[in-house]
Amino acid sequence: MSDDDRAPLFEHYRPLPRTFDEFFAADGSPRPEAEQLVALLNQLGPSEYATRQRIADSTFLRSGITFSVYSDQRGSERIFPFDLIPRVVPGNEWQRVSRGLEQRIRALNAFLTDVYSEQRILAEKVIPSELVLEAKGYLPKLRGIRPPGGVYVHIAGIDLIRGPDGRFLVLEDNARTPSGVSYVLENRMVMKKVLPRIFAESHVSGVEQYPIRLRKALASVGPAPDDEDGTVVLTPGPYNSAYFEHSFLARKMGVPLVEGSDLFVDDERVYAKTTLGRRRVDVIYRRLDDPFLDPDTFNPDSVLGVRGLVQAYAKGNVALANAIGNGVADDKAIYPFVPDMIKFYLSEEPLLDQVETYVCARESDLSYVLEHIDQLVIKAVNEAGGYGMLIGPQATRAQCEEFRRRILAQPRNYIAQPRIELSTCPTWVDGQIGPRRVDLRPYLVTGRDTWVLPGGLTRVALVEGSYVVNSSQGGGSKDTWVIEGDQHG
Amino acid sequence: MISRVAESCYWLNRYVERVETLARLLSVNLTFQLDADLPEVERWWPLVIVHGEQEVYRQNGGGDPTDDGAAVQNYLVWNEKSTSSMLSSLRMARENARTIRETISLEMWEVLNDLWVWMIDPTSLQSFERDPHSFYIHVRNACLLFHGAANATMLHEDPFEFMRLGTAIERAGQTARILDVKYHSIGPTDPRIETPVETAQWIATLRFCSAAEPFFKREDNFLAGREIAAFLLFEPAFPRSVLHNLQRAKNFLNLVRPPLSANGPGSPVGERTDRLLTTLLDRIESLDVDTVLEQGLHEVLTWIVAATAEIGEAVSRDFFHPDAGELRASSS
Repeated sequence: MSDDDRAPLFEHYRPLPRTFDEFFAADGSPRPEAEQLVALLNQLGPSEYATRQRIADSTFLRSGITFSVYSDQRGSERIFPFDLIPRVVPGNEWQRVSRGLEQRIRALNAFLTDVYSEQRILAEKVIPSELVLEAKGYLPKLRGIRPPGGVYVHIAGIDLIRGPDGRFLVLEDNARTPSGVSYVLENRMVMKKVLPRIFAESHVSGVEQYPIRLRKALASVGPAPDDEDGTVVLTPGPYNSAYFEHSFLARKMGVPLVEGSDLFVDDERVYAKTTLGRRRVDVIYRRLDDPFLDPDTFNPDSVLGVRGLVQAYAKGNVALANAIGNGVADDKAIYPFVPDMIKFYLSEEPLLDQVETYVCARESDLSYVLEHIDQLVIKAVNEAGGYGMLIGPQATRAQCEEFRRRILAQPRNYIAQPRIELSTCPTWVDGQIGPRRVDLRPYLVTGRDTWVLPGGLTRVALVEGSYVVNSSQGGGSKDTWVIEGDQHG
Repeated sequence: MISRVAESCYWLNRYVERVETLARLLSVNLTFQLDADLPEVERWWPLVIVHGEQEVYRQNGGGDPTDDGAAVQNYLVWNEKSTSSMLSSLRMARENARTIRETISLEMWEVLNDLWVWMIDPTSLQSFERDPHSFYIHVRNACLLFHGAANATMLHEDPFEFMRLGTAIERAGQTARILDVKYHSIGPTDPRIETPVETAQWIATLRFCSAAEPFFKREDNFLAGREIAAFLLFEPAFPRSVLHNLQRAKNFLNLVRPPLSANGPGSPVGERTDRLLTTLLDRIESLDVDTVLEQGLHEVLTWIVAATAEIGEAVSRDFFHPDAGELRASSS
């Protein structure tokens, strides 16, 4: 063993300037909530750390927590990169954040209830009507249909970032089919296996109750409330990149995983085809986007959906989680108005701040955006996964010109935000620890009330200097530790 | 249970059975062809015929089958185009398992996924080339472990019974086809007057089915083709005999069918399969080995294989892909 093997893991770690680091203050001392973890990881040293990281990787591979690389004839399997150094959030800070998240979900749910019924918020001009009515995710056919239990956003993933001052800010809402929660649970399982002592000493809030919370919440909004028998998870199928998660959730909840072709509608009721004949289904956690749900109502060519499903839903015979038409609530051009929704529906002040946003549909915003395109982050309102995005300060002149043309052609499709210096977290890349930018996706489950999973999925941009954390673009993930009690802060 | 899931359970075990059978056949053949002084074409080519690959072997890029066996082994283990190769069967087994990951146990998944990850890693190819016996034993053991894990960790209810139904139907067909190897390699001889080469073939046939030791536990069994054929066809206690597997299939079928009272008159679920299985069982139980040899072993095995395939189709119609009318008529 060389001296280097025994060197403290963070010996050479330096946070980036003008950036909030999750572990270390600007003067290089560890933050109170990370102090114990830094000490424990320092004791481990680089070579032992590298061994544990290898064990973690092979655990993911063995468990089949992988995605297939289909271009490869042998069908080789890759894992999503997982970084062993967890992200730490002190308990009291988390309490504040989760109250803010819960408030936001109440507002989004009230908004969806309103835009699919009276549309008071439009009549009172709190949000420009055309912005809502012309949103791709607004489905006029659904107006007047109240989902069973009155819940729209059963499962939400609200992406948070931390700016240079360390405040959590909402970056975007995901009110349709947010994915990634299986990685939260699997990451935690692997952490416990690979760093058991460090985990035991850290008093981390558990995440394991997610599936049972989800199952209860789903059953609570069914046409026969709390009857868990008729609940299923609906997947587009094994070739969908999130199939692992669909299967994982069905398994952990102990409910059947079905494909569209396993279901049929007869007399406005939904049934599953079973080996003993048909069986009634009344709650569907669907991981299938709206346009594919029902060829009778939406895309007539969809073979993934269930013919007649929307009619059964309209009759109140089946609950869908999430509800149909939620796309209008997580439209990026609607996002700037969420604080107004909170005030309008809840008569409360927003507990969480969000990123200043320019809506290109507005004349004044549009001219500002076009003038400052090289300083802003431009996002297409209906894209996700880090696609359809321009990071002005890092873009070439030609790329800026290209986006300028796209924005002018369809201003409604674009928003712009200042580039935030996302916070960094120490991350192991190529045998060294360096600062890498992170975000955080907490998960909220809503049935009769809302429950916030402590922590969430921390996504990390593994490429040095990158701001894009999406797994499709070189992102990895980390476990998120909410430290119980207030001892750290 | 969901019909599609039942279908995956059933096929999962059929594919696992194919992987295991191949591992055993190839491993036994490695030593067998040293014992028997066979013409070159009869050493490895019959294994290609057992798997129904004789028509497509060349087309899929199979090498000279009369060489030292490397070409046929390479083909039956690694060929990507052949749907019968070990790699293809294992891929299908794992794909089915992945699709119904919520239904099988974690332990089963890990066994199968480990085998797959090992198989597609370059080190398994090195092991195959350096020490094929160990390679085949590794594969065989993983398959046995899979069955053990299923038995010990999965709920013993419908999904499990569909898996066992798959195994039973696959084994009945495999054993019948393996028995036929003898026919393919040296033609229809009279097993009552046998040459030493023929005797060696019969021993190999036993070993192909893991039957050598069980066979000698039957005291009236002396090593002759007639007794061996009788054992592999009719021995009720041997887990790979045709009769044993068809009887088991009938048991599993009864377990997954609804109780009769749950169905109205008309077509109770599984009726088609039950009728075909009962007919085949009656026919086999009415036979004895001398009648079989009189009618011709190959002829009898051919209709057994055909009838087994037909039962497989009936299972599919009854449980996996019932038509809309049948679904509507069934209970909710």
